[in-house]
Amino acid sequence: MGDSQYSFSLTTFSPSGKLVQIEHALTAVGSGQTSLGIKASNGVVIATEKKLPSILVDEASVQKIQHLTPNIGTVYSGMGPDFRVLVRKSRKQAEQYLRLYKEPIPVTQLVRETATVMQEFTQSGGVRPFGVSLLVAGYDDKGPQLYQVDPSGSYFSWKASAMGKNVSNAKTFLEKRYTEDMELDDAIHTAILTLKEGFEGEISSKNIEIGKIGTDKVFRVLTPAEIDDYLAEVE
Amino acid sequence: TGTTIVGLIFKDGVILGADTRATEGPIVADKNCEKIHYMAPNIYCCGAGTAADTEAVTDMVSSQLRLHRYQTGRDSRVITALTLLKKHLFSYQGHVSAALVLGGVDITGPHLHTIYPHGSTDTLPFATMGSGSLAAMSVFEAKYKEGLTRDEGIKLVAESICSGIFNDLGSGSNVDICVITKGNKEYLRNYMEPNPRTYVSSKGYSFTKKTEVLLTKITPLLERVEITEVGEAMEE
Repeated sequence: MGDSQYSFSLTTFSPSGKLVQIEHALTAVGSGQTSLGIKASNGVVIATEKKLPSILVDEASVQKIQHLTPNIGTVYSGMGPDFRVLVRKSRKQAEQYLRLYKEPIPVTQLVRETATVMQEFTQSGGVRPFGVSLLVAGYDDKGPQLYQVDPSGSYFSWKASAMGKNVSNAKTFLEKRYTEDMELDDAIHTAILTLKEGFEGEISSKNIEIGKIGTDKVFRVLTPAEIDDYLAEVE
Repeated sequence: TGTTIVGLIFKDGVILGADTRATEGPIVADKNCEKIHYMAPNIYCCGAGTAADTEAVTDMVSSQLRLHRYQTGRDSRVITALTLLKKHLFSYQGHVSAALVLGGVDITGPHLHTIYPHGSTDTLPFATMGSGSLAAMSVFEAKYKEGLTRDEGIKLVAESICSGIFNDLGSGSNVDICVITKGNKEYLRNYMEPNPRTYVSSKGYSFTKKTEVLLTKITPLLERVEITEVGEAMEE
């Protein structure tokens, strides 16, 4: 082995059985901006803080919620650039599925494919794990769905979940507020209230993003004007 | 490999047209196939040549265009589709047998192009392709003028396709038309049916009474698989 000192995997098990690099990736997520998602009876909403490093940044140029397919959207907590890479890979995967089967990819399958990529980056040479957790919101034949995918490649289906800064507060808040029969508009209100809980400063349509999908199966990122309307309702 | 496909630019956009005959040598394989392929919401593409190739190449490029739209957040441009198609065809040195008429309306206006299997392209106000291209072009050259209205345009396209249908053995059956205007499109499938079936048996084509019903009962698949715990399977 000629390349001795660099051939060590960065993700070697520690004696206590942990993969330190993944722990670190999770820490990166934990210190990222808060994102959350709620699955309603007739749709899903995902929302996130959009705090910019300086007031000089044009807030319209930042899109933290992205489409993966017309009926699946996603948001992240953690490192923006890593998210971009994952989104590109996932879209390509969804497109491959569509070309092969002439049918939109089911949410579960896209989530699994994305999680598989993330897992591969915990076990390959010359790479590091992704510094992001994803919330994937979609609506397909199986109804509304919300998934969270972590840097380790593990994924779970949630009724409501949060990640990033203030996870524990946000989750406690969601646990109190969540009901099974909640409708999409209620879920959006709850999402805003949850974001508001741990928000530093004044919440506005410029510093949060909301994406929703309902029974029409079309994922949409709300415009600032629409967010303002919801904010007014919550007041 | 016999087809008539055409396209023209009119006052408000682009009109594409195609016949619907698919052949395998001397045999008509499909009397009503679709030759106008979707590329993007504002771009369509007629294909002549090997059906599998035109289908596959338009599918691949429409896929790339969709990903490009996600990445850029803008509508696709016809020139982008044109470049992707010609790059692919050129790299295969004519072995991908696709002769295309590409048309669409984007932010820069209406566009119409032809693409040859080797990857060369033309930009034209009116275009024809396939074995019926000569018949169709004779109609266009006699009657095309600038600033046609929608109805005039559709009429001219239908006429040129019909001249392919009736004068070219490789083309036949019906006329498909696609009208693309700014922010809107109309796919007029079987706009004309100039060759309806002339003979239908008066006796009908129902099965004889002797036809035996083998099975009427439908047994549904198991709703849920039952899993029985067999202890810690993962451990030794």
